[in-house]
Amino acid sequence: MKTATTIEIPAWIFCFSLLISCSTPSKNATAVEESVIPEEVTRKDERKTILFFGNSITAGYQLDLEEAFPAIIQNWLDTLGYNYRVINAGLSGETTASGKNRIEWVLKTFPDVFVLELGANDGLRGLPLEESRKNLQEIIDAVKAVNPEVKILLAGMQVPPNLGQDYTKSFRTIFPELSESNETALIPFILEGVAGDPKLNLSDGIHPTPEGHQILASTVWKYLVPLLDNPS
Amino acid sequence: MDKKITVSQEKYSRSWPFKMAWRDSRKSRGKLLLFIASISLGIAALVGITSFRENLLEEIDEQAKTLLGADFSVSGNKQLPDSLFRKFESISSSESRETFFSSMVLFPGRGTRLTQVRALTGDYPYYGEIETVPAEASQDFRGGQYAIVDEKLMIQYNVGIGDSVKVGDLSFAIKGSIRKIPGQTDVGTSVAPVVYIPAQFLDQTGLIMKGSRINRTAFFQFSSEKDTAGVWTEMKLQAEALGFDVDTIEDRKEETGRAFKDLSSFLELIAFTALLLGCLGVASSIYVYVKSKVQAVAVLRCLGMKAHQAINIYLLQVAFFGLIGSVIGCIMGVIIHLYLPEVTKSFIPIEITPTVYWPALYAGVILGVTISVLFGLLSLVGLRKVSPLSAIRSGFESRKIRWDKLVAIIGMTVIFFIFIALWWQLKNPLFALVYTGILIGSILLLFGMGKGLSWGMKKLLPASLPFVWRQGMSNLYRPNNQTVVLVTTLGLSTALLAMLYFMQDLLVQRVSMAGENERPNTVLFDIQSNQREELHQMTIDYSLPIMQDVPIVTMRLLEVNGKNKNEAWNDTTARVPGWAFNREYRVTYRDSLISSETLVAGEWKGKLESPSDSIFVSISKNYAENLKVKIGDELLFNVQGAVLKTYVGSFREIDWRRVQTNFLVLFPEGVLENAPQFHVLITRVDRSDLSAMYQQAVVQQFPNVSIIDLELILKTLEDVLGKVAFVIQFMGLFSVGTGLIVMISAIILSRFQRMQENVLLRTLGAVKQQLWKIIAAEYFFLGGLGALAGLILATIFTSLLGKFVFEFTFIPNMIHFGAIFFVVTSTSVIIGLLNSRNVIRHSPLEVLRNEL
Repeated sequence: MKTATTIEIPAWIFCFSLLISCSTPSKNATAVEESVIPEEVTRKDERKTILFFGNSITAGYQLDLEEAFPAIIQNWLDTLGYNYRVINAGLSGETTASGKNRIEWVLKTFPDVFVLELGANDGLRGLPLEESRKNLQEIIDAVKAVNPEVKILLAGMQVPPNLGQDYTKSFRTIFPELSESNETALIPFILEGVAGDPKLNLSDGIHPTPEGHQILASTVWKYLVPLLDNPS
Repeated sequence: MDKKITVSQEKYSRSWPFKMAWRDSRKSRGKLLLFIASISLGIAALVGITSFRENLLEEIDEQAKTLLGADFSVSGNKQLPDSLFRKFESISSSESRETFFSSMVLFPGRGTRLTQVRALTGDYPYYGEIETVPAEASQDFRGGQYAIVDEKLMIQYNVGIGDSVKVGDLSFAIKGSIRKIPGQTDVGTSVAPVVYIPAQFLDQTGLIMKGSRINRTAFFQFSSEKDTAGVWTEMKLQAEALGFDVDTIEDRKEETGRAFKDLSSFLELIAFTALLLGCLGVASSIYVYVKSKVQAVAVLRCLGMKAHQAINIYLLQVAFFGLIGSVIGCIMGVIIHLYLPEVTKSFIPIEITPTVYWPALYAGVILGVTISVLFGLLSLVGLRKVSPLSAIRSGFESRKIRWDKLVAIIGMTVIFFIFIALWWQLKNPLFALVYTGILIGSILLLFGMGKGLSWGMKKLLPASLPFVWRQGMSNLYRPNNQTVVLVTTLGLSTALLAMLYFMQDLLVQRVSMAGENERPNTVLFDIQSNQREELHQMTIDYSLPIMQDVPIVTMRLLEVNGKNKNEAWNDTTARVPGWAFNREYRVTYRDSLISSETLVAGEWKGKLESPSDSIFVSISKNYAENLKVKIGDELLFNVQGAVLKTYVGSFREIDWRRVQTNFLVLFPEGVLENAPQFHVLITRVDRSDLSAMYQQAVVQQFPNVSIIDLELILKTLEDVLGKVAFVIQFMGLFSVGTGLIVMISAIILSRFQRMQENVLLRTLGAVKQQLWKIIAAEYFFLGGLGALAGLILATIFTSLLGKFVFEFTFIPNMIHFGAIFFVVTSTSVIIGLLNSRNVIRHSPLEVLRNEL
């Protein structure tokens, strides 16, 4: 199995190899009502919650969860005495569309601060950007519906110039525009200082290494701190 | 004649044995023709099979090269350093560079689409071609501001030749549509449809700039003269150390699964068969011929000839027959080899340009003569010590096997010769040794069975049977019986042919796109749960099959047996590798296993009856080995926030070679239904216009759904694998065909054995029917036992080969067995009867005077 070469290809695709016929599919997925997964997934904790909702960057693709930037931020928060806990709800390969469908599940954790880091996979797959914008908007709406007081931090993203100027430009503008219309905080470009640097990325060229995640953490930290209550 | 024979030894001229050999042959030229024909059939089989094998092997090698399109490629996401490029260049006769990246291209007025843009310099592909409509477009587009575009993409956006496509800042006129690209065998590269543009315009597109994600591949063709092995490996390591991916044809072959390995193992088997058929054809005829001359030798010795003189005469004869037979055999083999492809041209998928393969001819002649002489010797040397008179009298009883040093030496020489010949064929001494061992083992086994049959008949033949049957059966043990010889010959050839038949059948099924029409070629993923129903409906509306529809849930592994990543790593007794915890698991749930999965341990329960039950998951066997877990071990998963305790319930073996989703971890129903998930749908679309329409409709209605169209990749691969399958089938069936002829000729040779007896029986008043029955009974038992022994051997061979070489389990098919038994037995009976029709049709005296 090769490693994925781009964010957009889920790793299992490489489990296809290329032979012979397919079997008759087994009858499956007749939605069963009862499920072991409980309807409510909440944890009692008196700390406030920062919910990181994103794709492989948040999930720390191919890394230990402890090496991904949300965990680093948790460390800093703890060291500096901030009374927050970080929940990493990142999922590799997540697009804005799948994020929209997953948000309900994720919001079983009540967010005080919500960091939204989605869109890169839409861009790399060349999906229509109007859709992405709509999906992101719906995610923001859903979060606000759960907690009208929530502080949202939107992570800006860019796609590489080889996709074509028109596309990269309209992609880039989604985030500041959404941030403005929703009055959220904004990280202009979450991969600032990391993207394109071979030393800070895995051999696939787009997923940050543990060192890359350190830089990511400082970038996010800069925009996150103003949203937090001061340390007690 | 008499006078010549009494010539005293001193005056015995050198040419005398030659003259004698010639004179001896005069009496029965017709009979000799049969022996020579039998020899030549064996040699023709050897030459024909070996030549085809060599030819097809070359052809398949050529075909395999199209999997990469070059001898090797070096790729990475940066430019290959000049110094290294020049090194590679120094061992290459030709090189090309390709730059590729994804980009949104615009079909003005029709929309934009993510594509893979490729820019090419040089003459790549060196093997195979970029197939376009019109054909010349694949060359022409390189000359100006032109592009060639994936066929389906053009249909989707309703653009034609002459329309323009905008890549970055530059517009290109479309020269043609792409149908097939060599080297496109990697799924990773296929996500987006391809657009080729000439490399000289790359910079002007404005897409290559800082931050762009660009992949670069350099393709090389080895220069033929230089021996590059050592240098090349060193360069390869150097490039890999710099983070480049070096890909060779061999790598690509391996990626296609077992096909090429299977082919080469099968062709080794074919080589063995060819050789054995050659030996069988020659040996059986020489053996029977020399046996018929034993009495003549005895007579000559009675007249005062020295044993070695007599032996010399017949050895000369035999060597001469061997030579003539081999030469005729070679000519026949070459004719078959040269003209069969011509005849079958219209329905075979491969272009064979047969060229005479000279080594096969040399081998044919050498083998023919050597085996003739050795087998002649083997039968003749036994006569040395026999006193002349007893030789005459003992027409019946003297040919018991007695220990004779010389016979043993000659026997060893035969075995050694076969070993050498196999070594030459297989080019591997170890394999040759193994095959020689198998051969000796089977001959001994068959010999034993033949002896057993003789003995069993003698002891068990019920006296109550009618005379004709008893007569026929007692022929199996009475003196001058042919049981051992025919059972061995028939058994060995049946074993070989049955084994080849089973094997080619199994391999063709495995290699070829069996059920090509059911192979999926389109994968839709990232389908959201609320889109599933509608997408199903749309797929059905397009009359497309839903081959798989799989929910996928992502999770991470938290603990194995209560130990997290660090604890598990530090536990030296069961160290779990870190990646097991670092990766995200994409799992599915269903109530049953699918055909690509085999349960190898434990028990699979498809549904969780009550939410309070323990959850037993099934994991892939290889994964279990890496994780070092056993049945019943505990795995703790984090399903995006929900922690789930599961137990390993079973191990599955997964056939990864199919186009379908396979999973390391499989959950039963009733656990994950509420977890966040997306769905994958797999279907097959036959026509490219329909495929284009379907894809367009899906993208329009479900913009988030991504489609992977595997058709372009599968086409090249399928092409090559189809040819591999054809070669296996062709070589298998061709060998079976020639083998059958060799086998038949061996039975025909037995015609002289019973002639005298049958004539006597007729003289005594036996009627036709009685003779028919006697003969039928004898040949039925010979054929039946030969077939049975052969089938047993074939089962052993096939099972062993399946276990150790081809990795499959051989399940005997009773219908095949029955058919083979029937064919061999009835062939034996029919030929036995045909052999005797001369005796029966004509009056006894006529026959006696003619033939004896």
